Amino acid sequence: MSITNTHSSRGPSSRRSPREFFSSLRGWLPVAPFVGFVTVFLLMPAAVVFQKAFVRVDEPTAPMIEAITGQYRKSFIFSMQLSAITAVLGVVFGTMVAASIVRLGHRRGLRNAMTGYSAVAANLGGIPLAFAFLAALGMQGLLTKILKTSGIDLVGMGFRISNFWGIVVVYLYFQIPLMTLVMLPAIDGLKVTWREAAANLGAGDRQYWRLVALPLLLPSLIAGFLLLFANAFAAYATAYALSSGSSKLVPVQIRFFLQGDTITGKTNLGYALAAWMVIIMTVSMTGFLLLRRRAERWRR
Amino acid sequence: MKRRNILAKLVLVAVGLFYVLPMISMARFAFQRVPVALLGWNNLFDRWTIRPLFTMMGNPIFQEAAFLSVRLAVLSAMLTLIILVPTVVYVHVSMMRARALVEVISVLPFVVPAIALVVGISGAFRELAPWFIRSDYSLVPFYVIIALPYTFRSIDNGLSSIDVKTLVDASRSLGASWTRTMWSVIVPNIRVSVVTASFLTMTVVLGEFTIASLLLKETLPLILAQSQGQDPQGSFAVGLVLLIMTASLLGLANRFSRRRNITQPVAML
Repeated sequence: MSITNTHSSRGPSSRRSPREFFSSLRGWLPVAPFVGFVTVFLLMPAAVVFQKAFVRVDEPTAPMIEAITGQYRKSFIFSMQLSAITAVLGVVFGTMVAASIVRLGHRRGLRNAMTGYSAVAANLGGIPLAFAFLAALGMQGLLTKILKTSGIDLVGMGFRISNFWGIVVVYLYFQIPLMTLVMLPAIDGLKVTWREAAANLGAGDRQYWRLVALPLLLPSLIAGFLLLFANAFAAYATAYALSSGSSKLVPVQIRFFLQGDTITGKTNLGYALAAWMVIIMTVSMTGFLLLRRRAERWRR
Repeated sequence: MKRRNILAKLVLVAVGLFYVLPMISMARFAFQRVPVALLGWNNLFDRWTIRPLFTMMGNPIFQEAAFLSVRLAVLSAMLTLIILVPTVVYVHVSMMRARALVEVISVLPFVVPAIALVVGISGAFRELAPWFIRSDYSLVPFYVIIALPYTFRSIDNGLSSIDVKTLVDASRSLGASWTRTMWSVIVPNIRVSVVTASFLTMTVVLGEFTIASLLLKETLPLILAQSQGQDPQGSFAVGLVLLIMTASLLGLANRFSRRRNITQPVAML
C-alpha cells in the first residue's frame, strides 16, 4: 500500500498523540485552497453583509429593525406572498404532473421526455424567460391575442405580466418542473403492496389516498414547498425584466440602495435587507433538508 | 382506472402546452414581421425572416458583450476545474472524512441569493480592492461560487463511480508523479464529469444577470435587457438562441451523467 493510506488505516478508537494530531492536521491541508477560495469569495462577502447590517452609522433606528418596518416591511410581505403563492401552486401542479407521469409510467419515452425537460426547465430563468412570457402574455402577446379571440380578455380582466399574478405565472415555469423532480421519487416510492393492503382491509380509492398515501407524501410536499419558496424568494432577474425595475420585490429595493448614492439616515439599510434575505433563505433551506431526510425514511 | 389515465394525459398535455407556448410565442415575435394585432389565419405564414437575429449579431455592442460572456464562461469553467478536481480527488483518495465538509460548503451558495452576494461583494471589495471590482474578470470567481453546488455534485459523482484509490496507488507505485497521475489517470477516467461540470458552469455564466448588472459589467444578459427597447425583435431572437443553448447544455449534462438530474443538486440532497 502507498503512503497515503496511513491515516485511514488507523482505527477510530485509537488515542491521538500530539504528533498524530498534527499529522491529521496536515491531512486537511490539501483541502485548504478550496476552503480559502470559498471563504474569500462567498463567506467574507456574506460576513460583511451581516457586519454592516448590525452597525448603525447615521440611522435613527438600527438598520436590521428599519429593514422590517414601514415600506420595507411591505416589500418583504410582498416578496414572501409572491414566493408562497408560486410555491403552493408549484406544489399542486408539480405533484399532479409527477403523479400523472407515474400513472402513465408504462410509456418510458413519455416519462423520459417529461423528466428530461423538467430538469432543464427548472434551471431556466433570467432575462430570456421574461422575454418569452412578454411575447406570450404581454399586452401584445400571442396568447393574450388567442385568448381574446376566444372570449377571454386578460388585459380587460386587469392581468398584467408585470404585476403580482403575472410574475406568479412566469415563476411557475421553473417552479412546476422543480416540484415534479422533487415528487417523482416520492410517488415512485409508494409501494403497490400498501395499496393492496389497504384495499384488502376494505379501503376505497379515496380512503387510500387520504389515510395512507397523503400522510406518507406529506413530508415531501412540505419540503417541496420550502424549496420552491426559497427558489422564488431568491429570484431576481426575471421579475426585474418583467417590471422594468419598478417592482416592490425586496431584491429590487436592494438594487436601489446599491445603485444610488446613499440616502442620509439609511447608509446600511441595503445590507440589512440583504441580511434578512439570507436569514429567510437559511431558515427555509434548513427546514427543507430536515423534512427531506424524514421523507426519505420510507424509501428503501 | 381508464378515467384516471385520461386525467393524467390531460394534465401532461396542459403542462406541455404551458412549457412550449411561451417559446413558440417568442420565436414568432422574433422572426415574423407581422404585429400581433394584425395576425390572423390568413397571414400566419407570411413574412417570416431570421434577419432580426443577424442584425443584432452585427451590432458591435452585442458582439463585445457576447465575446465577454464567452470568455467569462470559459474562464469560469477552467477555474472551477482547477479548484474543484484536485480537492475532490484528494478527499476521495485519502480523506473521506472531509467529504461531508466539502459537500456542505458546496451547497452554501444556495442560501446566499445573488442579490445578497453582490451587496456583500461591493461592501467587501470596493474599499479593500477597488481594482479587482473594476475588472470584468472579477466576475469569474463569483460565477465559480454560484455554480459550485452543481459542479461539486458532478465531479463527486464521477469519482464515486470509479475506484480512485486503486488507480492512484497503481499509478504512484509505477512511479508517476501526482501531476501525471491527475492528468493521465484520473482526468481521463472522469472526463464525462469534467465536461458536465464545464457545461453547468457555462450555463450559469451565460444566464447570470444580477451580479453582472450591479457591478456594471456589460455581459450578454445585460445587453439583452438594455436593447429590449431599441431592438425588441433582435433582442428576443438572441434571447431565444440563448435559451436554446442553455437548454441544450443542461440537457447534454443530464444525458452524460449516469445519475439523472445532476442539474438539481438541492432536490437530490
